Amino acid sequence: MSSTQAAESIHERFRELRDDWKSKTRHLSNTAQIALVFSYQKIIGMGPDVVPLILSELEKEPDHWFWALEAITDENPVSESDAGDVEASARVWVQWGRDRGLLAE
Amino acid sequence: MNLTDLFPNLTGENHEVTSPRTVRYNCIAWAACNTERWWQPGVFWPVDSSRDDHGIGNVVEAFRSLGYEECDDGVREEGFEKLALYGSTMMYTHAARQLPDGKWTSKLGQLEDITHTTTEAIEGGDYGEVVQYMKRPL
Repeated sequence: MSSTQAAESIHERFRELRDDWKSKTRHLSNTAQIALVFSYQKIIGMGPDVVPLILSELEKEPDHWFWALEAITDENPVSESDAGDVEASARVWVQWGRDRGLLAE
Repeated sequence: MNLTDLFPNLTGENHEVTSPRTVRYNCIAWAACNTERWWQPGVFWPVDSSRDDHGIGNVVEAFRSLGYEECDDGVREEGFEKLALYGSTMMYTHAARQLPDGKWTSKLGQLEDITHTTTEAIEGGDYGEVVQYMKRPL
């Protein structure tokens, strides 16, 4: 498999898991319940390759990707003053990705 | 997907949508009259908490800190505001706040706020059942 094919395969698997996760969690409020859905756990299991895809999702639509990002990267760039602010947290993580070249400017 | 697909007891007759969808706040925030944050233990929570504590006791403690105390039921009492806390397999899942007319208001995850006629209207699915009622003086 070429690197392009491999990237497309990762992207396709991520999209399938993302869609499954979103369809099962829109109505949930407990973040642990949201993150324990199996498709979300599988996304975390995909490891660092999936971080740019998650950041790209966050750039388009704020959502509860912070648990996965922190689990994969072992970082949390969100300040205490922004904690719980989903839109602000998304912006901080997107900037974190840009600073590391994981997202295009 | 319709709300009635997500909640087996919800019907067109026992609820009304009262807001647009938003990820800005969740049910716990809405029960506490906050529409700016997604309340989550260890992230944004009114009491010190481990981020791993998603049990019923932690959400009870959170609302105690806001002046509520445990009570026996969700029957409307003049001069009090009540909450219904939902849980499933020891994890809290939801909080609903009683309105002055005895109906209930809920924020459904990232979806809309709704008014529902009974606490049972949103039981039976992923929210489980009401496991604790709380009240505070108005």
